[in-house]
Amino acid sequence: MNRHRSKLVLLASLVAAGGLSFLQPYISPYYFQIIIYIGINIILASSLNLINGFAGQFSLGHAGFMAIGAYTASVITTAMNLQPGTTLAIPMFLLALLCGGLIASIFGLLVGIPSLRLKGDYLAITTLGFGEIIRVIIQNLDFLGAARGFTGIAKLADFFWVYAFVAVLIFLIYNLIHSTYGKGFMAVRDDEIASEAVGINVTHYKVVAFVTGAFFAGIAGGLYAHFVTYINPSQFGFLRSFEIVVMVVVGGMGSIGGVIVAAILLTILPEALRAIAQYRMVIYSLLLIIIMLARPQGLFGGGISIKRFLKQNPEQT
Amino acid sequence: MSILSLQNCSIKFGGLVAVSDLCLEIEADDLLGLIGPNGAGKTTVFNFITGVYQPTSGRVVFNGKDLAGLKPHQISALGIARTFQNIRLFPSLTVYETVQVALRKNIRYGFMQAVVRPNSLFQQEREINETIKEILNFFGLLPYQREMATALPYGIQRRVEIVRALATKPRLLLLDEPAAGMNPAEKNELMGLIGQVREHYRCAVFLIEHDMKVVMGICERIAVLDYGIKIAEGIPREIQNNPKVVEAYLGEKA
Ligand SMILES: Nc1ncnc2c1ncn2[C@@H]1O[C@H](COP(=O)(O)OP(=O)(O)OP(=O)(O)O)[C@@H](O)[C@H]1O
Ligand SMILES: [Mg+2]
Repeated sequence: MNRHRSKLVLLASLVAAGGLSFLQPYISPYYFQIIIYIGINIILASSLNLINGFAGQFSLGHAGFMAIGAYTASVITTAMNLQPGTTLAIPMFLLALLCGGLIASIFGLLVGIPSLRLKGDYLAITTLGFGEIIRVIIQNLDFLGAARGFTGIAKLADFFWVYAFVAVLIFLIYNLIHSTYGKGFMAVRDDEIASEAVGINVTHYKVVAFVTGAFFAGIAGGLYAHFVTYINPSQFGFLRSFEIVVMVVVGGMGSIGGVIVAAILLTILPEALRAIAQYRMVIYSLLLIIIMLARPQGLFGGGISIKRFLKQNPEQT
Repeated sequence: MSILSLQNCSIKFGGLVAVSDLCLEIEADDLLGLIGPNGAGKTTVFNFITGVYQPTSGRVVFNGKDLAGLKPHQISALGIARTFQNIRLFPSLTVYETVQVALRKNIRYGFMQAVVRPNSLFQQEREINETIKEILNFFGLLPYQREMATALPYGIQRRVEIVRALATKPRLLLLDEPAAGMNPAEKNELMGLIGQVREHYRCAVFLIEHDMKVVMGICERIAVLDYGIKIAEGIPREIQNNPKVVEAYLGEKA
């Protein structure tokens, strides 16, 4: 294991993010927005990859965690009346993001608990239900703007912060899965009974995956809210979760690089295909089916086969 | 003192009594065989020793400790390791990583350190790496370390599974039909391997096996299970000549 390489890469990425953020005035707002969405989608897809790809717990509720992070952070910055450019803006914004991440990870814990008992399709349906429940609850909470949405969020997220979190998350996942500790995620994904038999605490790994994945989805939500400045519950519905799942499946479950590339491609694709934007979900569904049939290990072949999720591990020893 | 003691263990699946009132003692340096016709309940015995199932009644005592209510990973930590009748390797892990997973309990760091990588982590990872190399080398698996474990020939997969179990440093090793599906040459290799294991790891071995040549060749004692009931126990020669055992295997009902 190379001792300092991953830390140097992280440092270099942060410096690069800082440097590149000065280019913002020279980029058209439209392209700039796409670049920000790419970063946010990389965070969403990579954090879901930790749950779905590395720990093997098929979750369809990622937008729910995103929503929790988005609303929590927005409530905090709005209550404090933070304005961009003031001295307190950056530290308090980061604090709000972290709170969003933490609350999301508490929900990650709550959703992770059924994953200890439920497998495969049952877990997928439970997490899907969770995401929808979150959306419906927000839709009915007046202090969050209910269905009208939450307006007047300060524009605090910029290129640097989005890509700083991208770098931190990739650093985290990379280090995690290259450690002896982290190999436990893959073992749990591959075979729970065999994992337990060699002393792996399956419960621990599933819960850690859900909590960590939810945390970063919450951060992504907070960043998103403070970039678009207006959020409403319909932005965090099932279709959002589905989009993130497609990114992970297309990129290859358990492939760090593949999922990043897929997040980039699938953010640009709908923009490029503006004319047929109303068929986006149809395209995504077709894409999912094609990948499952033709490239089950992801577009770049670096992940584990999605087919493994469709058939259950034998329970019988 | 015996390392494992099964005291009147029974287990029911619905109406089926898979194992009934089983008593068995294994000494710390034993090589005990467990035989019996298909469906006799042999694998079920392993499953309740390792915590996959809880016995419906009776006690499993390992090293003086009652295992009731413990999870499989806790039982593994106490020093019981096993292999599976239908090999269960990790399909996405290499041979090296397979052994690495089994060494998980050797590390003293958690999630946070894995992410921020303090210096102490590198020290521990280096030790793990050395241990893996040592184990793989000892069992002749070093040439396969980068191969996916499930892509290897059957005999080698069996070996990897045994090595994975041994990497947890067990005091009792449970082998569920390790010779199944092996050719005669592989079976001989396996018998050599089990001998090596006992010498080098000094653990007790509890072995389920259908192949009589293997069982009679290496076991010091044999217990026989039929319809969940222990019908005989003794040295191989006694077992071979026991009329009840012969009857169970021929399926004759008197
Ligand atoms: N989880 C379970 N649920 C219901 N019945 C079970 C379960 N596990 C085992 N059985 C039943 O218990 C009995 C004993 O099964 P077991 O697998 O222990 O037999 P075995 O002696 O290992 O047989 P074989 O030589 O074929 O491996 C069988 O009738 C089996 O169908
Ligand atoms: Mg069996």
